[in-house]
Amino acid sequence: MKIKRGVKHDFTLIAILLIPIGVAINFVGAQIVNLLKLPVYLDTMGTALTAMIGGPWIGMATGIFSNLVKSLLNPVSLAFTPVQMAVGLTIGLLSMAGMFTKVWKVLVAAVIVSLATTIVASPIQVLMFGGATGNSSDALVATFLASGQQMWTAVFSTKIINELIDKSICLLIAYFIVIKMSPRYLSKLNYGSIFIKKKAS
Amino acid sequence: MNKIQQFIVNLYPTTKFLIVLFLALSAFITPGYIWSYLVLPICMFLAYLAGCFKEFSNLAIKALLLIVLFIFLLQAFFYPGQEILWQWGIFSVKQEGIQFALSLTSKIVAVASSLLLFFRITKVKDLVSSLEKLGLSPKVTFIFLSTLQIIPEMQKSTHVIMDAQKTRGVETEGKLMTRVKAFVPILSPLVLGSIASTEERVLTLESRAFSAKGNKTSLYQVNKTKHDLKVRILLLILFILLIVWRVLS
Repeated sequence: MKIKRGVKHDFTLIAILLIPIGVAINFVGAQIVNLLKLPVYLDTMGTALTAMIGGPWIGMATGIFSNLVKSLLNPVSLAFTPVQMAVGLTIGLLSMAGMFTKVWKVLVAAVIVSLATTIVASPIQVLMFGGATGNSSDALVATFLASGQQMWTAVFSTKIINELIDKSICLLIAYFIVIKMSPRYLSKLNYGSIFIKKKAS
Repeated sequence: MNKIQQFIVNLYPTTKFLIVLFLALSAFITPGYIWSYLVLPICMFLAYLAGCFKEFSNLAIKALLLIVLFIFLLQAFFYPGQEILWQWGIFSVKQEGIQFALSLTSKIVAVASSLLLFFRITKVKDLVSSLEKLGLSPKVTFIFLSTLQIIPEMQKSTHVIMDAQKTRGVETEGKLMTRVKAFVPILSPLVLGSIASTEERVLTLESRAFSAKGNKTSLYQVNKTKHDLKVRILLLILFILLIVWRVLS
């Protein structure tokens, strides 16, 4: 039987229930990182997970809800909602193309996702916030600016460096968790079959 | 609760939203940055009347202080301009940069503080219920509400898992590499456990006809008070006055 995919078919009940879990993982994951005092953010892990097994639309929805919940406490993050949407969408599409079945493919996917995020995030950061984000990466932007670069290139370079590190770790962790999931659960999701085949071989 | 506090808190969620929308829009309509910055004290005052002054100010400082500061630093030093106010080595603060930073941050402060005020004076439950009445799918509201429930639940289980892994000998403190190694043993049981629980939740929800078609009744209702219409009309008049004033001046 061929699985139907697309916006109309992706939002099954089990996939809908995946969204709150994804959002919570985004939050709690970032919190664990904080507790362990690691030098990364990793606040898109939940989005990555749900996008991998739930598809691009579920991933995008997770991104939107994450930022909505975040904006309850910090309205500035509302402006960056398109970034999270892009992350969910790109990871979902890459997952459909089978890019999350081997470690080297995951790393290639991380580069693509980082590029997509940078392209979406930089204009928001430059046009709406004058290049600042309010966290430590601003120091790097300032360094690039001081070395004589333009605002756009400075923000773009800072973003791409940050994203490459962040997204490769994030996607690798998500990948290792997904391949541990039981085939029984994965079979219930529209996009889970991609990860089951890998186990059988 | 005194009278004013009750009045603000009991307004219908969409009316509250219109109030903050008016505040945010006024920051864009009025020229200059003084009024836009004034939106923050106004929101603080409204928060004080609604009895959540401390909460509001804490969050506002946390959310806005750093970003405003960084914008000022970046723009003051690196915005292209001629009029130099202060110089130190190769770094110089320019008049144009300060001006640009002022107009940019004032808008950000206005929008962010009015949004923050909205979420402080509106219960998410009320907001969601009023959105459902406007025609938002119950699925969306379910996702939103259950997310807010799951986050604290998951935080609790994180600590349980951390303690459990510590007793097994997983180190969570020390050198960077040890802490990195601790990350996956904490995260993976958390994720796999919570994902497994969704299967049970599907059964529970389906047994209550969650995905059945047809109208759904709600146990929780928010109602408009008699003041809502008055407040809305007042806001409309203020808004028209503001636009007229802007066009004429």
